[in-house]
Amino acid sequence: MSSGCPPQSPAVAKTEVAVDGACPLLAATFAYWDNILGPRVRHIWAPRGPPALAVQLGDGDITFLANHTLNGEILRSAESGAVDVKFFVLSEKGVVIVSLIFDGELKGDRNTCALSVILPQAELGFYLPLHAICVDRLKHSIRKGRIWMQKGYNIVSVLTSEIIPIMELLSSMKTHSVPEDIDIKDTVLHDDDIGDSCHEDFLHKAISSHLQTCGCSMVVGSNPDKVNKIVRTLCLFLTPTERRCSRLCKSDGSFSYDTGLFVQGLLKDSTGSFVLPFRQVLYSPYPTTHIDVDVNTVKQMPPCHEHVYTQRRYMRAELGALWKAAGEDDVLPDTVIHTDETFTPDLNIFQDVMHKDTLVMGFLDEVFLLKPGLSLRSTYLAQFLLLLHRKALTLLKYIEDETQKGKKPFRSLRSLKTDLDLTSEGDLNIIMALAEKLKSGLHSFVFGKPFYTSVQERDVLMGF
Amino acid sequence: MIGSPDLVAFTKDDAFGQTYVDPWSIPEEFSVPLYMHDGKANPWSKANCAKFSKDFILISEFSEQVGPQPLLTIPDDPKVFGTFDLNYFSLRIMSVDYQASFVGHLPGCGYPKINFVEDSKVVLGDSKEGAFAYVHHLTLYDLEARGFVRPFCMAYISSDERKIMQQLQELSSEFSKASESLKAGNRKAFADELEKKLKDLEYTRAVLHKEAERQKMNDGCYSTQAIEKANELANVEKSFYEHKDLLKQVTSYPNRRTRSFDFLLSESDTPADLTDVDHMLDGVSPDPGVENRGGECKLSYTPQLIKAKPAKCFDKRLKTLEELCDMYFFHQTMDQLRLIEDTFRGDLCYIYNRQIDEFLLKKQKTSNFLFEEKDDWQEEEVAKEFCGGNRISDNTLPPSISDLSCKPQTLETCVSSEESLLINREPETGVEGLLDTESSLCDLTQENSDESTCAEIKGSLSSADSGETNKDQFDVQTCVVESKSFTNQQPPCLEVQNCRTNGEKPFDEISPVDFVAAPTRSSHPGNASLEDGVDAVNKAILSAQDPDPNYGNIHETEPFAHEDASCCMRQEGLLDIDPLPHTASESCVEDVVKQEPPSCLQGDPGRPMNFTPNGGTLLEGPTAGLSLDLNTDEASRRNADDASDTISCLSISTSSDRAPSPFPHGGPVTVKQKRKAGLGALKFIRQYPFAQQAIFSLLSGRTLVVLGVDEATVRKLVNALTIFVPNLGKYGERVQPWLTTSFQLADLLNWKLIGLQRISSPTGSSMLHSLNRYSRYISVLDADHKTLRCPPYRGSLVARLADHRTQIKRGCTYYTHVQSVLTELTSKAFLYTFCYHLHLPISPAEDPDTVALRRAEFLHHHFCYSKEDSRIVQFLSELIKDRYLHGPDKEVGPPVFCFNYVSSLTFRI
Repeated sequence: MSSGCPPQSPAVAKTEVAVDGACPLLAATFAYWDNILGPRVRHIWAPRGPPALAVQLGDGDITFLANHTLNGEILRSAESGAVDVKFFVLSEKGVVIVSLIFDGELKGDRNTCALSVILPQAELGFYLPLHAICVDRLKHSIRKGRIWMQKGYNIVSVLTSEIIPIMELLSSMKTHSVPEDIDIKDTVLHDDDIGDSCHEDFLHKAISSHLQTCGCSMVVGSNPDKVNKIVRTLCLFLTPTERRCSRLCKSDGSFSYDTGLFVQGLLKDSTGSFVLPFRQVLYSPYPTTHIDVDVNTVKQMPPCHEHVYTQRRYMRAELGALWKAAGEDDVLPDTVIHTDETFTPDLNIFQDVMHKDTLVMGFLDEVFLLKPGLSLRSTYLAQFLLLLHRKALTLLKYIEDETQKGKKPFRSLRSLKTDLDLTSEGDLNIIMALAEKLKSGLHSFVFGKPFYTSVQERDVLMGF
Repeated sequence: MIGSPDLVAFTKDDAFGQTYVDPWSIPEEFSVPLYMHDGKANPWSKANCAKFSKDFILISEFSEQVGPQPLLTIPDDPKVFGTFDLNYFSLRIMSVDYQASFVGHLPGCGYPKINFVEDSKVVLGDSKEGAFAYVHHLTLYDLEARGFVRPFCMAYISSDERKIMQQLQELSSEFSKASESLKAGNRKAFADELEKKLKDLEYTRAVLHKEAERQKMNDGCYSTQAIEKANELANVEKSFYEHKDLLKQVTSYPNRRTRSFDFLLSESDTPADLTDVDHMLDGVSPDPGVENRGGECKLSYTPQLIKAKPAKCFDKRLKTLEELCDMYFFHQTMDQLRLIEDTFRGDLCYIYNRQIDEFLLKKQKTSNFLFEEKDDWQEEEVAKEFCGGNRISDNTLPPSISDLSCKPQTLETCVSSEESLLINREPETGVEGLLDTESSLCDLTQENSDESTCAEIKGSLSSADSGETNKDQFDVQTCVVESKSFTNQQPPCLEVQNCRTNGEKPFDEISPVDFVAAPTRSSHPGNASLEDGVDAVNKAILSAQDPDPNYGNIHETEPFAHEDASCCMRQEGLLDIDPLPHTASESCVEDVVKQEPPSCLQGDPGRPMNFTPNGGTLLEGPTAGLSLDLNTDEASRRNADDASDTISCLSISTSSDRAPSPFPHGGPVTVKQKRKAGLGALKFIRQYPFAQQAIFSLLSGRTLVVLGVDEATVRKLVNALTIFVPNLGKYGERVQPWLTTSFQLADLLNWKLIGLQRISSPTGSSMLHSLNRYSRYISVLDADHKTLRCPPYRGSLVARLADHRTQIKRGCTYYTHVQSVLTELTSKAFLYTFCYHLHLPISPAEDPDTVALRRAEFLHHHFCYSKEDSRIVQFLSELIKDRYLHGPDKEVGPPVFCFNYVSSLTFRI
C-alpha cells in the first residue's frame, strides 16, 4: 500500500494516544488545502500500542488517504461555518474514512480543512451506529476550533480534546457495547414476578422515564451486575441500532460518561459518589434519565424542546466565551461556561418523574403473568414495542395532517389526546418521545415557545 | 431645549438596541442557532435550498473527452431534478473517486493487465445546494477507451442527509447488486468486443502476411515497403497476443466480492444472471480460432481489416452506457435502480418505521397473522418462535370458547342436546321478521335449554334452525376433543392436571400432539354413538377444508337441510326476500312478509345447487359446492378470485371488475391496499352510527354480510371493512367482496365478510333465503336501506376504533390508528392465550368452574372488559391457539366457527 505514496516533507506532526484495549480507529487526521501546495496533512492522531487489527497503515498511507479527503473540495461553495460530512468506503484500500469538511483561517488565508477519522472497513458495521455520535461531537469541536483558528491559535489542541475521548469511546464500545440481541434472561423481565429484582414502582418509573427521554438513560450504582441488569432491561425497549449505541458498565473500574450514548452503565467510586458531568449530559442529543440502582431513584431531564433550547443556549455561551477569551491558555473546555455572565445554567436539571403513564404500567402488570423461560415474554415485549411505534407514527401523521406538514401551527393537542387515546400525560410523553426520534424537532414544533411550558400547561392553554 | 440633530439617532426605523453591535458578541458563522427551526423551517421542511422535488438516481461518467457528465436520471423526468445543476453535481461526485482502475503494463509483465478494482462508495453532500448523495463508483471496460476503462458512478441523491447515512448499508447493498449486474453485462460485452477484435487482427495479420510475402517477392526482403509491412505485421502480431491475453483475463474474471462483510452479497442475493454470465464468459475461448459459444453473431461476424493508424482520440465516438453493456444486463440494472428509487423515496420516518415494524413482527409469528399483511418471512416455522422449539404446553392454552361457560360440560348435557336436536327438527310455525328487534319465537322458547355445544353444531348443520342454548359461542373444531373429555367425565383441563400431579411429563414437554391425541386414546367405546355424531359434524366441517374428492358429508345432511329450509322460511320472516328496492322498503314498513317466496316453491333453496350462468343446473361433484381446495396458495387465490369454480362462486357476477377493489384478485394483500381502505373505513365510521356494532361483529368472528343492489357501493363497504377482519389471509381469503348467489354454512367458515348482491331472480331469492336461514350466525349490513342487523355491542374497545367524532382527517392516518389499536388487541389476546395462571387449576381440588370463573374475572377485572369485549379477545385467542397448535400451514382453512345466540337488533341511521 505504501508503494504509491509520495514522500512526506516536512514530517507530519503526530500524537500517539494511549487507549485501554484495542482501538478500532486506525488514525485521525487534520488536513487542509494549501493554496500553493494543495492538500496537506497537518496532524495525525493514532492509537498507541500494537495494532490489533488486520489493516495496518503507515504514516505515508494515512497522509495519502487524508489528502484525498479534500479531493474535489476546491469546488466547495458552502456557507462559511458549515461543516459537511463525507464518508468513504474504499474496498480497494480496506478502509472507511469519515471526513468533516469546513473552512477556517490558517496563516491569514481562508482554507478548506478536513478532520478525518480512518477505520478498517471490517469495522464498518461496528462504527455506523456510532457515526452520528462521533460526528456531532466532532462538529462541536470544529466549531470551537474555527474560533481558535480565527484568533490565530493552534486548532490541534482543541481537536485533541475531543479526538482522544472519541478514541476511548470507540475502544470501550468494542468491549462493552450492549449486544444487538439481548437475552431476556439477563434482564429484570425474566424474574418470576415483578419486584423480585427491584422494587415494582422503581422499575415502572425507570422504564417509563427511560421511554419519555427518548430511550436515553444513565444507570449508576455500586454493584456492576445490578447496574448491567438494569442497562440490559432498558435496552430491551430500544431498537437494535440504538442498543449498539449503549454501553454496559465496566466491573473493574468505571467509564466516564459519554455524550450521545443511549443507555450507559456507570459505577460509583469507592466512596459511593458519582460526579455528574453537567456539560456532557447537556450536550446529549436527547434528554437523559438518571437511574440510581443503589437508592432506587429515578430522575429525568425536561422534555426534548426544553432540553434542546437549554443545550443551544449553553453551546452559544460556550462558543461566546471562547470568542472572548484573551489567550490560548485562558480557556479550558469544561470551565469555559463560568466566564460567561449572560447564561447561568440551571444545575438542577434532573427532576422527579412527574407524569404517570398507563402504557408501561399495564405492560409490567401483564408481562409477569406470562411464564418465564420461554419466549412468551419476548413476544409480548415485541408487541408492546410495536404498539408504541405505531402510536408514535399515528401521532406523527395526525400532526402532519393537522398542520399540513408544518405549514400551520398545531393547535389541537386536546383532540389528539382524545383521538389517539393518550389522555394520560405520561403516555403522551412516551409517544411524543418516540415520535421525536422519527421526526427530529417535533417537540419544538408542537410546543414551540415559551420553552419552559410543560406539556400539561400547554395543553391547558390550548384548551382556551 | 433639545435640538433636532440630537433626535436624529432616535428617529430611525430600527427598534432600539438593534443597531448596537457588541464588538465582543460572537458572529453567527461561529455560533449555533438558538432555535432548531428558524423562520418557516419545520420538521417536515426539506433542506433549505434543495432545488429538486424528490429523491432521484443519477448516473454519471468521467468522460475522457468532455470530463464528468450526467448520463441519465431515474426517474427520467426533468421535473424531478428541476433546476438542480446535474453537470455541477456530476463534477462534484466524480472528483471524489478513489478507484485506481487501469489497464496497463505492470512491471515484469509482458502484456497489459486488467486491474479489476472493487467499487468504492462515498457519501457526500453539498450543504449549499441542499443535496446529499450516496455515490457508488464503478469502472467499466471499453476496448476503445483510454486504458480500456470508463469510470462511472451511480448516485442516490436526496435532500435528507440523515436518510442517506441511516440507510447506508441498505443503499450500498442494493447499489452493489445493480453494479454487479452492470459489470457482468459489461464483461460479456467486452469479451464479445475482444473476440471481434481478435478476428479482425487475425484477418489483418493474414492480409498483411500475404502482402508482405508479395512485397518480398516483388521488391526483395530489404525494400522499404517490405520492412514497413514487416513492422506492421509485427505490431499486429503483438496486438493480437495482447488482446488474446486480455480476453483470457476477462474470461477468467475472479468472481470475487468486496472484502467487507457488510457489503457481501449473500448467495441468495446474487442475481442468478451473474453466475450465468460467468458461465457464458467461461465459454468464450481465448483462442478465436476455436468457436465454442455457438452464438450466431459470432459466426456471422465478418472480420475487417484494421488500419495501421487509429483514429485520433477526440475523433472517435465513445460507446454509450447501453452499448457498453449486454442488453439483458443493462435492463436488469435499470430495473434494479428503479426498485431502489421506489424503495427509498419518501420520508425517512416512514421507511425507518417500516423497518422497525418488520423487525418486531418477525418476533411475533404466533400472533401477527391476525391483522398483519403476510410477507414471505412469515412463512417460516412458527415453532422456532419458542426457544428453539420449546413450545408451550397446549394445556396452558385457554380452552375453546365453548369451554368458557361457567356451566361444566357433562355427558348428560351431550345426550340431552341430542334430544333437543330432535325437537328442533320439528317444523315450527312461528313467524318473525328479520328486522325484529327481539329474538325469534324459537329463541325465546328455547332460551334456557341446556344443550351441549356438540349437539348444537350437529343441529346447526343438519337443520337450518338450531336449538337455543345459554352458551354464547361454540367452537366446532374443539368439539371432538371436548366430547371425548366428556366421555371420561373429566373437565377439559384434566390432561394438564394429570401431567402436573403425576409428574410423568414436564410441563414444557407436552407437545401439541399429546394434546390432540390424548382424547383419542381415552375415548370410550361405549360412547360411540355420541362420538359418531360428533365426528359426523366434524367431518362435515373439516371436509370443507379437505380436498378429498370422496367428500360428501354436507350432502348427507341435505334431507335435513331441505326439510328445515322450508320450516325456517315459515318460521322466520323474509323481509328482504323481494330483491326489488321498492318492495324491500315496503317490507320494511310492514316488518313481516306473509307470502312465501317463489324460490321456496320452485326448489329447495337450501340444497347446494350449481348453476350455470344461463340458469341450467350442472351435475358436479359434491366438492364443487364448497371451497374445498383451500389448503394451497393457489386455492386461496382462486378463493379470493371472483372467478372461482366453487358452487358459491359459479354464478358470481362477471361484471365484478366494474368497481375497483383495493384488493386485486390473485395478489397478496399489501399495506398500500389496506391504507387505501382506511379512507373508506373512516368514511364508514363517520357515516354509519352503528359502525361499532359492525366492527364488533367482524372482530368477534361473526360473518358480516353487506347486502346491496349496487355492486360498487357494496364493494366499497366491503373494502372499507376489510381492515377489521381478523386473519384476513395472504390473499384476503376471508373476504368475498361480491357474491351473487346463495352461500352455504361452510362458506361462513371461510368468509367473514361477504358482499352480497340483492337481485330479483330465483337465484336472488335463493340467496336471500340463505341470508335468513343463517341469520343467527351472521350480521347483515343493508347498504340500500342503511340498516344493520347484528347483536348489540356495549363495550368500550371498539369505541376507540370507531369514534365518529374523531378528528382524524386522512384515511392513511386512520388506518395507522386502527393498526395500533388492533396491535394492542392482539397483544391482549396473546396474553390471555398464554397466561399460565389462568387456564390451569391452581390446586387439584379446584374444579373447572372455578377456572372458568377466573378466566371471566380476568377479562372483566384485569382488562376491565365488558362481555362483548371479552368475546372479541376470546375469539382472537382462539385463532392464536389454533394457529399455534396447527401451524401456519393450516391457515387457509379457518380454525374456528363461532356463533352466538345473542339476539340481534336492527340499527338504523
